[in-house]
Amino acid sequence: MECNTRRHGDHQRKHSDMGLRILLVDDEQEFVEALSERLQMRDMDAHAVFDGPTALAQVQSHPPQVMIIDLKMPGMDGIQVLRQVRQTHPLIRVIVLTGHGSEQDRKNCMDLGASAYFQKPVDIDELNTTIQKHLENEPTALSAPGHFDPSFDTGGGRT
Amino acid sequence: MTPLHRLKPAFWDHMDDSGNYGGLNLKRKWKLIVLLTSILALSPLIIMTLVDFSLTRRTIETESNTRMQNSLHTLAGIMAAAMADNPSSSCAETLWQKALHQLNTGPDNDLFLIDDTGEPVTPSFHYGKDPDTGQTALDISRFSQADGIVDLQTPDGTAVLAGYAKIKGTPLTLVQLRQADWLKDLWLKPRLKMLWFLCVSIVLILLSIMGMATYLVGRIHTSERRRIEALHHEEHANRLASIGRLASGVAHEINNPLDIINQKTGLIVDLLTFGKGQWPDQRLLPLAGDVLDAVKRCGTITRQLLDFARHMEPSVEPVNIEEVIAQALALVETDARQRDIVIQVGPIPAVPEFECDRSSLLQIFLNLAENAITAMESKGILSIEVSRTRTDQVTITVSDTGKGISPEELPKIFEPFYTSRSDRWGAGLGLAITYGLIQEMGGDISVKSKVGKGTRFVLTLPVKATRQPTADGALHLPKSDIPAGSGSQDSPQGEPDVPRQ
Repeated sequence: MECNTRRHGDHQRKHSDMGLRILLVDDEQEFVEALSERLQMRDMDAHAVFDGPTALAQVQSHPPQVMIIDLKMPGMDGIQVLRQVRQTHPLIRVIVLTGHGSEQDRKNCMDLGASAYFQKPVDIDELNTTIQKHLENEPTALSAPGHFDPSFDTGGGRT
Repeated sequence: MTPLHRLKPAFWDHMDDSGNYGGLNLKRKWKLIVLLTSILALSPLIIMTLVDFSLTRRTIETESNTRMQNSLHTLAGIMAAAMADNPSSSCAETLWQKALHQLNTGPDNDLFLIDDTGEPVTPSFHYGKDPDTGQTALDISRFSQADGIVDLQTPDGTAVLAGYAKIKGTPLTLVQLRQADWLKDLWLKPRLKMLWFLCVSIVLILLSIMGMATYLVGRIHTSERRRIEALHHEEHANRLASIGRLASGVAHEINNPLDIINQKTGLIVDLLTFGKGQWPDQRLLPLAGDVLDAVKRCGTITRQLLDFARHMEPSVEPVNIEEVIAQALALVETDARQRDIVIQVGPIPAVPEFECDRSSLLQIFLNLAENAITAMESKGILSIEVSRTRTDQVTITVSDTGKGISPEELPKIFEPFYTSRSDRWGAGLGLAITYGLIQEMGGDISVKSKVGKGTRFVLTLPVKATRQPTADGALHLPKSDIPAGSGSQDSPQGEPDVPRQ
């Protein structure tokens, strides 16, 4: 697993020498810090932020390769963050990780261009595998920026 | 159904629901309808017949009396004329005999002469001429007028009608007796036929009234029962829906702290495995593993809860039932084989136009099959039959030979969290989810069970799925761990904040 990370992540290391740069966004601080530490242990350069605006600022200043975002956050929610990131940085892979996943949410997120959708509680290995898998097919998938569907830009399709 | 059953309402002997359907006392209604209609239909008939009866009787009596009186009057006139020439008793007797010849006399029709004391001067069937017989004389005071008709009782006790006419110029009175019954024959016999006719029609009318009342009240009874059943059904569905809303809210809220436990424990495991540091205790790693197992279990339950209350647009597509059944059975096959359970699938009719949400149908079959296998524990037969009962409906029967469900438990089995399993994986959501899915498809499920014999689930699914709009759009509870004022993104009116970029 770790070997895979290095091998497939090699060509991604443009932004950091430490490894795959991952930005975690979740208002559950305890959770996101633990998860980020665990990802760090798996040789990833994981950072945790606790709200949407901070995350977007981070994306501007220090773009990650992968973002893991929660949907339900005070202030700016995950859908908005996802939309913004897809608009400004379509190369960033966004993985949605939420405790409030309905099928509609999943559909919305996938339509907005999320790479994967997970429901809490998540298995770290599963998450890791998904991150690797999506980075593998990255060049082809990201060459099509039409992934983002503008019809969903209507204030969120959430109920 | 015997003819008697058509007259007697089905609910008469055993009224369900305390005999009262929402204030409708059907027994009383039935009685009232029968009574009122009978009175309305029969009373004019009876009154008309009675009036006709008495009118006819009176007419015939009057007519025959007049005739008798007229003939007596004429006879008396003739006698008076003859006796004026020859006032002797022999003349009177001759005249009387002539009159007797003219009238058809007999015991029923008696004609004789009496003198002014009331003694008969000629022989009579009822009044002897001979005083030795001891017969009393006629009460002459009754014959007060020149002629007339009176009711009399003869010495031998027969009720007779006596017509009399005094013969002018003589002390004699001509008397004709006629039995009172004789007249009856004239009017009663034809009337009796009418009476028979009346009785038969009354019976027919009563029967048809009762039949009609039974039919109508029976219809009210059935529709009322259907209405109450529908109400119960709706109530049940509503209760399930609200439990579903609660369940999904709880599941969502639990998922967040659950993942904190998950990640923190995972971190401990990671620290122990990656860190290569000193192990404070050898038991720590297995303990953390146990916690992670427990978290997984919780995760399974919350996922089931969300499945139960899921809110998703099913993708309706043409589905091959046989294929889905095979798919579902493949998933339970191992379990069934281990428990020595035989799976029988009857011939499945081809329903090419069958449409529904494939994953829902799969889950329905899977849940029912798992339920059946659990009920049987070991050894038994799980059989699935599919038939097309109507052009727009498919009926699927899933039956097992398991332990059965007691009548007390039966109403509860579709409720979430109801389980008979004691093992730790049974959250009691399987049948609740099944119920929800079937309702969503516009179908229905019913269950019959006998303790110790087995259980039979009967599903009816529409061939063309008519999706029932589910009311539970937002299946979320207010998020409790977000400080007030920060705005909940789940509430429809809680517009997300404008991005600060």
